[in-house]
Amino acid sequence: MRVIEKHRNILDFTLSSLARRKGKNLSLVFVYTFVVFLIASVTFFTHSLKTEAEVILRDAPEMMVQRLVAGRHDLIPMSYMDTIRQIRGVQSVTSRLWGYYFDPTNGANYTLLVKPEEHSTSGTILVGRGVARSVRSKQTGTIPFKTYDGSYLFLRIKEVFTAESELANADLILISEADFKRLFAYPDGYATDLVLHVRNANELPTIATKITHLLPDTRPILREEIVRTYDAVFSWRGGLVIVVLLGVVLAFFILAWEKATGLSAEERREIGILKGLGWETTDVLFMKFWEGAVISLSAFFLGILCAYGHVFFTSSMLFEPALKGWSVIYPDFRLTPVISAYQISTLFFLTVLPYTVATIVPAWRAATVDPDTVMRA
Amino acid sequence: MLLHPAIISLVTGSLLVSGMLLYASYYGLKIIRKWNLLSGSEVQLGLERRTYLISTLMINAMAFQLLSLFLFIYTADRMAPLFVGAMCAAGTLKVNIWGYPTLLLKIINWLLAGIWLILNYTDNRGYDYPLIRKKYAALLFMAPLMLVETAAQAAYFLQMQPAVITSCCGTLFTSDAEGVTAGIVGLPKTPVEIAFYGGMFLTLAVGVIYCIKGKLGYPYALLSLFASVISAVALISFISLYFYELPTHHCPFCILQKEYGFVGYPLYFALLGGAVTGVGGAMIMPFRGRKSLAEVIPRIQRGLAVISVSCFALFSMIVVAGIALSNLRLR
Amino acid sequence: MIEIKDVRKVFNWGRPNEFVAIDGVNLCLHSQSVTVLKGPSGSGKTTLLTLIACMARPTSGRITLMDREITSLPERFLTEIRRRTFGFMFQQFNLIKGLTALENVMLPAYPAGEKHAVLEKRAGELLGLFNLSEKSRAKVEWLSGGEAQRVAIARALINNPSIIIADEPTAHLDTKLSREFMEILLSLARDGKTILIASHDPIVYESDMVERVVEMRDGKIVGE
Ligand SMILES: Nc1ncnc2c1ncn2[C@@H]1O[C@H](COP(=O)(O)OP(=O)(O)OP(=O)(O)O)[C@@H](O)[C@H]1O
Ligand SMILES: [Mg+2]
Repeated sequence: MRVIEKHRNILDFTLSSLARRKGKNLSLVFVYTFVVFLIASVTFFTHSLKTEAEVILRDAPEMMVQRLVAGRHDLIPMSYMDTIRQIRGVQSVTSRLWGYYFDPTNGANYTLLVKPEEHSTSGTILVGRGVARSVRSKQTGTIPFKTYDGSYLFLRIKEVFTAESELANADLILISEADFKRLFAYPDGYATDLVLHVRNANELPTIATKITHLLPDTRPILREEIVRTYDAVFSWRGGLVIVVLLGVVLAFFILAWEKATGLSAEERREIGILKGLGWETTDVLFMKFWEGAVISLSAFFLGILCAYGHVFFTSSMLFEPALKGWSVIYPDFRLTPVISAYQISTLFFLTVLPYTVATIVPAWRAATVDPDTVMRA
Repeated sequence: MLLHPAIISLVTGSLLVSGMLLYASYYGLKIIRKWNLLSGSEVQLGLERRTYLISTLMINAMAFQLLSLFLFIYTADRMAPLFVGAMCAAGTLKVNIWGYPTLLLKIINWLLAGIWLILNYTDNRGYDYPLIRKKYAALLFMAPLMLVETAAQAAYFLQMQPAVITSCCGTLFTSDAEGVTAGIVGLPKTPVEIAFYGGMFLTLAVGVIYCIKGKLGYPYALLSLFASVISAVALISFISLYFYELPTHHCPFCILQKEYGFVGYPLYFALLGGAVTGVGGAMIMPFRGRKSLAEVIPRIQRGLAVISVSCFALFSMIVVAGIALSNLRLR
Repeated sequence: MIEIKDVRKVFNWGRPNEFVAIDGVNLCLHSQSVTVLKGPSGSGKTTLLTLIACMARPTSGRITLMDREITSLPERFLTEIRRRTFGFMFQQFNLIKGLTALENVMLPAYPAGEKHAVLEKRAGELLGLFNLSEKSRAKVEWLSGGEAQRVAIARALINNPSIIIADEPTAHLDTKLSREFMEILLSLARDGKTILIASHDPIVYESDMVERVVEMRDGKIVGE
């Protein structure tokens, strides 16, 4: 095929001409890569936080019921369970015991959770990887917990569990009910909150309304609401950071424009020769297209690769504090790598597209050098 | 307004494309007013040089439009969890009145850009720029449409309010909802099936004759337009059911998902490609009489016909294979 | 076969710095002839060459090339004609630095879409013709003046043109190299190529092979 051969020839020439101007092109690719890296890091980070949240919430109950006292979350009496169980459509109601514990020696905040079906042996605990990491550094298998009255309760780590979502489980400690109650002097007959399962998800809003009627001091929370809130919050944060970064991006495109416009005398001479020898304006435009494609794609993939490493291997050390948004004193964790065609195309739109637009006019200007310039000089 | 990265990129993209089209129209207007091929003056030489810039801008605009079309659907799909009751793009697009018009405009603008480029390509093959004024006049008509699309898209995203109750694709594309889409679903299945299979067969047959013998150009052009429309209708009316293996799920967007092997992409690419090349071939038909194009146009048309016939053939093959391999039996 | 009728080329038309470089030239050049354009600096020789070689369009007048009117053709058609019909030798060698001699010779053929390997073979053969086989992989900036000159000639011939256009080809060559160059042109003329040279070098216009000398002054033809 003539067309393919032609493009092969032109591409061939483009690559050698890029190689001949290594300095200029490498510096351009470097800055370009950095811009892609920044934006890609933001999108990867927010996207994987969102996915983490989804994973956490996937197994969450469809509805949670909390009791409010003076507008604040309070312990809920177990007796409420019977009232709720009476409502039509409710399949089951269970109580949950959980809370937070601040460990002053590590400066970390742990989540303590009682799950009788998974762990019920007193004196031992199961811990998430984040907890294990911070404890292991001290070379001991027991964690001292300071109880409500200032005495210490020593609990032995029986097992470290791994899970799909590290964010959710990094700081998690599974504890037996007896230990939990001893630690916090938790009153009998009360739970932290209630969770319920329903037969038909469509009835959730109706059941929620009934609960607020029957038990006016409670607040039902639907899983869907939480998902929605997380989704909105994370996307919004990501978007905000990107808007902030647009300044950087803009600066880059001005640079790209200038680089493309400020054709060196040498380059202008070369294009003049090509046109004199029988290259058509379209051929030179193709050459410029390939040039842009090579630069854009290498910077794009390099930037994405760096961002991937940054977000998933170094835990986004550059802007973790800005984006994560919850407890700063959090045991360090690694995000589960998630990357999708959707993110890639968004990134493409945010970086390659403006770059291409910025270089069209300069490329055209270069390509329309008069062929007869080669005869003068 | 939702400050979603994808939304920012879609809005930026549309603004850039609009800018490109405005820029192109500005010089298009100049060309319409000042073009004089017989003159060797510098003004004329400058204008001729501009035509290269405008072509380049339009090629880029068309490429971006295609990407933007799919990114738009994808974004709508991803935002479904934000809206109560929306389960996929079909529901999200309905959260306000701008969703579907934006989608439609994106498709139309892409098709127009494609047809324009075919016109441009043809014109460039004639030694006396035979279509120059016509094509730039067409450009003047396209730029406002692109601006409308940009505005509609902005309105869609700006007026979006999460947690508004919307219908999901399950209710939007079942026959008790109103609107065009519901009308399609409500169409009796058998006539649609007959129209689709018959129309497709006829289109392919005429197309093959056209490719080989160069005859029946106008009928083929009309048929290819018909085939694109009826294929879209058939896709919602009955083809989608086989891909989802659900007798009531008519959504045209879910087939773009991984669960269905991304089968929507080849289907839609084939449809868009078939439509643009089919219609484009017809658009240049009236200019066959021009001396400078008399030889060129039949060659271009045949090339376009080969592409569009292949697209429709691909579409039909995927559909037939999908129906044959489906576990769903409708009768 | 090249017919020039009433051709004018005006630079910066309608502006204060308007300049008439070619002023109503009529000329007819026959196939397989060797013609020299001669005249003082600024007389419009180069400009006339660019018009004939489809590099620029005249402001008015008509140029017919092998029975085809080329004056009002769009650039993409002119380029195509130029690539197929003309081979160029410039005042400077105008080789692209950083590329090898072989790549430089191949350049004019790239847009034609010929297979790379075939093209490479043809370019190699041409270089062989000019005793440059060992230099074909050498970067052009390392070549001597005479070698660079021959590479430029090979490049002019890669598309097998029927007309060779040379603008002051001997300006940067010493007497010996200039004579060598004329020898090569002579052999090309014998092969049936049409040759058109602009030059004010006596070695060129007094050479035996030259059949016709056209003299220019201030954009007009003043004698033969
Ligand atoms: N692009 C241009 N704009 C304005 N004037 C030009 C342009 N190109 C050439 N000229 C003018 O046209 C005149 C003829 O130039 P040309 O190069 O044809 O002369 P020449 O006979 O080749 O001279 P030389 O022997 O020095 O090469 C010159 O006075 C030059 O300044
Ligand atoms: Mg000169």
